[in-house]
Amino acid sequence: MKLGRVVGTVVSTINSPAFDDRTLLLCDLLDPQGRPAGGYLIAVDTVGAGAGETVLILDEGNSARQIIGVSGAPIRTLVVGIVDEVIVGGTNALAPAPVVAGASRGRRRRDLWGSPRDGSSEPSSTSGSGES
Amino acid sequence: MQLARVIGTVVATVKSPGLEGIKFLIIQPLDRQQRPSGGQLVAADAIHMAGPGELVYFVAAREAAQALPDTFVPVDHAIVGIVDAVATLSGDEQ
Repeated sequence: MKLGRVVGTVVSTINSPAFDDRTLLLCDLLDPQGRPAGGYLIAVDTVGAGAGETVLILDEGNSARQIIGVSGAPIRTLVVGIVDEVIVGGTNALAPAPVVAGASRGRRRRDLWGSPRDGSSEPSSTSGSGES
Repeated sequence: MQLARVIGTVVATVKSPGLEGIKFLIIQPLDRQQRPSGGQLVAADAIHMAGPGELVYFVAAREAAQALPDTFVPVDHAIVGIVDAVATLSGDEQ
């Protein structure tokens, strides 16, 4: 398993049939401190990850085919999770830069595609349900 | 999987059984900025439609042979898609 950050998508119409209707994500590989480790992978999305998110990448063919449930597919790399925290030495390596720094927050969170999942810019979805 | 640019073709008449009819292309793996990265490779064309100059993505290792009609063949890199566009956080790159 590897840590990665989704930096984009790859669009393709002519491809191996196994990739039909699948989303390909371009992911930079990260070190445990959340810094780019050099290198990238194109991975098939299985969790609905969006640009800017830190993700868990599976890069092993048998496991990947088991997860997508297609035994003969030429697929080896999957995004299998969206990472909330990576605690290294007691600190969250993925925490945004201190607010004092000002403007450039949100760079880590996806702000180009997809809707925020962590409620950073919208109220929790649990409020408002069951009220009349 | 990684991005690569097709830069040439390979023609072989004597091949391992199971590889008949399969086209082999020379590819140059690319980094995320689509700059050449690492050595050139010979890859099987699993989609039968890639050609020199095209931006493709390829799969390595055992999964390469899975992309071919006969899955028990000695192939370790296969082109599995032609890239239409790469959209990144910093803007479109193709």
